[in-house]
Amino acid sequence: MTYYPEPVARLIEALQRLPGIGPKTAQRLTFFLLKRPADEVRELADSLVAVKERIVSCSTCFNVTDQDPCRICADPARDTALLCVVEEPNDLLAMERTGEYKGRYHVLLGALSPLEGIGPDDIKVRELLQRLDAGGPTEVILATNPNVEGEATALYLARLLRPLGVRITRIARGLPVGGDLEYADQVTLSKALEGRREIV
Amino acid sequence: MGLGTSAAVVIGSFPLGESDRVVTFFSREFGRVRGVAKAARRIRSRFGGALELFTLGQLVFFDTGRSELVRIDHFDVTHPFAPLRENLETLGEAAWMVEIVARTTGERDRQPALYGLLVRALRAMEVAARPPRVAVCFGVRCLDVLGHRPRLDRCAECGRAYPFARPALGEGGVVCEACRPSVDAVPVAPATVAAFERLRGLRWEEAVASPIGRAGPELRAVLDTHLSRLIGQPTRSGRFLRDVRRLSEVSE
Repeated sequence: MTYYPEPVARLIEALQRLPGIGPKTAQRLTFFLLKRPADEVRELADSLVAVKERIVSCSTCFNVTDQDPCRICADPARDTALLCVVEEPNDLLAMERTGEYKGRYHVLLGALSPLEGIGPDDIKVRELLQRLDAGGPTEVILATNPNVEGEATALYLARLLRPLGVRITRIARGLPVGGDLEYADQVTLSKALEGRREIV
Repeated sequence: MGLGTSAAVVIGSFPLGESDRVVTFFSREFGRVRGVAKAARRIRSRFGGALELFTLGQLVFFDTGRSELVRIDHFDVTHPFAPLRENLETLGEAAWMVEIVARTTGERDRQPALYGLLVRALRAMEVAARPPRVAVCFGVRCLDVLGHRPRLDRCAECGRAYPFARPALGEGGVVCEACRPSVDAVPVAPATVAAFERLRGLRWEEAVASPIGRAGPELRAVLDTHLSRLIGQPTRSGRFLRDVRRLSEVSE
């Protein structure tokens, strides 16, 4: 790093801290930015600062937002009887992209992990209980990832929420649309068979 | 360097970059192997659900020799052990077993006996009415396989013949009351020492079915303490199991 002027070295070092960016990519990005007009670079810098300064976590659902409560929680057109539980804000965005879901969300900001030692106290489980205790939702949709951590979280929440008398559902698992049956692995295929339904 | 193939169990994984996954296998031929499964987190990944925890399969990887991580080419499922992931108790107990394997073995340290024990224990746990019993049997045998078999016929410190009153279990084995202050040992009931001795002497099927009564939970705790000492810190899955037990107490 001694070959570079100090500001260049600092930027390379800062970029390297981003996920998936190694020394070579950080160097390439730095030299790319050096070649761009000053306005464009300033806009990027302002966006980075604004994200940190203006984005907060919604105090109701824990989604990322620039207003508290977030637009979804504040929207009166949303169905308050439906509550979809997701692991991360990115999962919420994926659900929103479907355009099919009109209820509200609860973002756990993580998932239970037996091997990483992540327990219910490390994610927003207590806050979910508080929301349900306060009333409103009659159905909780567990939309955690279909992997070990997501399944463990769904199993845990299902058992925890059962005494509250709300309907608890889990998103379906199985084959992706457009996929070929012959390439499906046995776990996915058996889950698809398990979740089969009658065509009407 | 080159292509490697072996039967293996998935014992851990974590996300890498945009859609890749670093997966840890415990293989029969190569011991613990870590590798990158490209695009494994995509919904239409060619690996599908094959890289889920506990899955037993045939691993094919390419080792460039330039990195600790190999390139995972195929992992064809032999047995998915799906029921282990569908119940919180079995998930916790099976996670405890794979965590012990992952944290007590070195990279590329071939341990066929431990591999056989792990697969046998996962198979037993899949159909077990009492998953903690399988974990106890695994723990008892795991200590033997790893070369840390505790001495149970006499005090590990002074050599006094067992049985004696108020025994404790330490790293080296059973410890008498006089020696206990000098070693880090947990006081246990004589029934727990007897159960420990009996379980390691029985055939696997007999051990899993053998009644050990009230000694079970204490033996489980002693094994967790003992194996945590070997690892150098408390087991993470032990914490998960405590959370699950707390939930069971609340919901019952």
